Amino acid sequence: MTLTGHKRGVSAVKFSPDGRWIASCSADCTIKIWDAVTGALAHTLEGHLAGINCISWSPDSKYLASGSDDKLIRLWDVQRGKCMPTPLTGHHNYVFSLAFSPKGNMLVSGSYDEAVFLWDVRTARLMRSLPAHSDPVSGVDFVRDGTLAASCSSDGLIRIWDTGTGQCLKTLVHEDNAAVTSVRFSPNGKFVLAATLDSCVRLWDYVEGRCVKTYQGHQNEKFSLNAGFGVEDGKIVLWDVSSKEVLQTLSGHSGVVLGVDVGLDDQTIVTCGVDKTIKIWKKQPTAAMNGHHEPALPQQASRDDHGVAEHELAQNGTAENGVGENGAVPHEQS
Amino acid sequence: MNLPLTDPSLLAQDIPESLSARLRSSGQAVCIRFSHQGDLLASGTSKGGISIFDLATNGCARKIKGHTPNRTVQSLSWSADDRYLLSSSIDWKIILWDLQDGSRVRVCNLGAPVYIAELHPSNRFQCVAALYEYRPVLVDLEDEAHPKQHPLPNLPMRAPNEQEDAAKADAKHFTTVAAFTPTGSHVVTGTTKGWLNIISTTTRETIYSLRLCSKPILLIRLSASGRDLLVNASDTIIRTIKLPDLTSPNLKPDSINLEVEHKFQDVVNRLSWNHVAFSSNADHVMASTLMNHDIYIWERGHGSLVKILEGPKEELGAVEWHPSKPLVAATGVESGKIFIWTINTPQRWSALAPDFVEVEENEEYVEHEDEFDIHPIEELKRKRLDQEDEEVDVLTVDEEQMQREKMGNMRNKDDEFRMPVLLDMGESDSEDEIVAIGTGQFRRKSTAREESEFLDGEVEDGDAVETNGHNGNKRRREE
Repeated sequence: MTLTGHKRGVSAVKFSPDGRWIASCSADCTIKIWDAVTGALAHTLEGHLAGINCISWSPDSKYLASGSDDKLIRLWDVQRGKCMPTPLTGHHNYVFSLAFSPKGNMLVSGSYDEAVFLWDVRTARLMRSLPAHSDPVSGVDFVRDGTLAASCSSDGLIRIWDTGTGQCLKTLVHEDNAAVTSVRFSPNGKFVLAATLDSCVRLWDYVEGRCVKTYQGHQNEKFSLNAGFGVEDGKIVLWDVSSKEVLQTLSGHSGVVLGVDVGLDDQTIVTCGVDKTIKIWKKQPTAAMNGHHEPALPQQASRDDHGVAEHELAQNGTAENGVGENGAVPHEQS
Repeated sequence: MNLPLTDPSLLAQDIPESLSARLRSSGQAVCIRFSHQGDLLASGTSKGGISIFDLATNGCARKIKGHTPNRTVQSLSWSADDRYLLSSSIDWKIILWDLQDGSRVRVCNLGAPVYIAELHPSNRFQCVAALYEYRPVLVDLEDEAHPKQHPLPNLPMRAPNEQEDAAKADAKHFTTVAAFTPTGSHVVTGTTKGWLNIISTTTRETIYSLRLCSKPILLIRLSASGRDLLVNASDTIIRTIKLPDLTSPNLKPDSINLEVEHKFQDVVNRLSWNHVAFSSNADHVMASTLMNHDIYIWERGHGSLVKILEGPKEELGAVEWHPSKPLVAATGVESGKIFIWTINTPQRWSALAPDFVEVEENEEYVEHEDEFDIHPIEELKRKRLDQEDEEVDVLTVDEEQMQREKMGNMRNKDDEFRMPVLLDMGESDSEDEIVAIGTGQFRRKSTAREESEFLDGEVEDGDAVETNGHNGNKRRREE
């Protein structure tokens, strides 16, 4: 299924935690809420003055937070399709990444101003400003119980923060120091998955500070599928968590894939890209790549309990464009 | 999940050290109580309002109003799943609140000002209350229209030879405080004449009595295990008492013999204690002091004073210890703010730079045999990739972690309660209530406004959302 409607590149797409909606945000300054089943457009949320980089659903699926190049974070009441009156102001530069805490009471945001901010969602008040990085913060995430937050930056560092005290507890760095473009905690909170601009996705044991897996789907792809597409653009790669094998590559986007999310049932993947479209992928029981598909099933199925994660799924694409996945958006703006 | 990364020396600390936060909502907080999970703190004000604070953000998460305005909220008690809150006030009422939507589930008029009301540990529709100059009651709120009140005895159980002059001694003898044991099988009460009574919940009869002193008992607290009792009496002595296992089936009421384990007092200054609390594991006892700004903390092993917490320059009222963390909250008697003490967590610099390790002293570095050997980079990379052959489990959550998240309660995921996050609370945060009246001009929010707000609350049936809706344009001055 392909959802069209955005006028410019779509920077992020997210399933709501209850699985009913898909939210997408775009460089055309709008957020669109789609019905996850039918694909019908439910709401178009307008209010930001510049392109939107990131969105995050509150755990109860009632609210949506969005971060934009206008330096604001806005909260939206999804049911009513309205913007909350007070935006979260404080960042000095583009807001580039966002995540709700599992309880929905806090937001963490990363910005081009190199800081990570922790917000009290209820009062739209800045709680903590973490002097996190020396380059734009490209990704943030909360761990499952909300006690830790992770941030990553183009300076090549991944930092783990204690949300209670605001202290940095750990720093992860790969020796190549490649810019990190996104960071996610695993569903059980023991690992972080980070995508870097050296065409790798790495799984870190953050307690020991050790990289346990390196996924290199991009290169595989180059050889196998290069014929169909000019460069690496427009493909989504699925890896097996343990064996590091590429399970499947999905192609269909005619440009860079910017955002990806996995549905509640683990059978659905939604992706978006600079080609202004959103695509929904459903897993077919008789997929062509069946041989590789089988072993992944138990892992994918068990994800139900843990909500949405993309631990074995990372987007490919902009690796060689020199900017982070979402980075294409602010650059388009300027 | 932050435990594996936390400095072990910090985890070893069990006593808070310094003042870390001030919470403030409209009104003057007089009583506070942590939720069982420890993520929320309920506070009742002298004007009858109740605020729920989120300890992660130190901001107000919900305001509920329903008690008669300007009547002090006396006590608060959480249900086991932290969804319901029982409040009692000197306006004779006890109210059971549903924090899902802030509604009043039950309102019950007990016919007398309430000293303290406590929910049954497992049944949210049962509570015990101590009333002013009246018998304590066990209230059954199951039937909404007709709550049943079962009076409990005031008078202690006496030996037959003491019966003669009992009538005189029993005049004006009332219960001041009542508390459930953690299983709810018994109620422990304290009286105006220094008696401690243990009353069975099922038979509603006193099974054991003990006279501690001749002055009124002010507060009784039980530890989470139910085996330790903490009693504050107006004779300036705090007592800890070990309790037998009251739930054991072969316990004979006659065989109970309680003895005071420790007596904590300040012999020099003759300080009297406003409010007392056990620490989370009952290893420590703390107390706020009358006419003094400090919180005293004793440890129970030897009964010695281990810490005096200093903080605000005002007398402190109610004190509470967090159910799992070394965190203490207390209310200021004058300002009505809530003060929070925690341990200090210094930044470890090695956490910022992964290649560095913090050492106590200089160490001679011994080079490994092949440490600086040069290998071709490609070969190294390939080798490293080949070594990544372990099985990783990114899904399974440790039992231990699950326990921590559920706080050991026998709850499963379905009935776990999470209080909804209200985004339209208005400016009800922890700072002073200051209103912007123009560019750069601020004034303190007038008390008249505050009262009218409470009146609104009364009319609107305590709907926090409605009454706070018009506060949206207030600004807080940044400090």
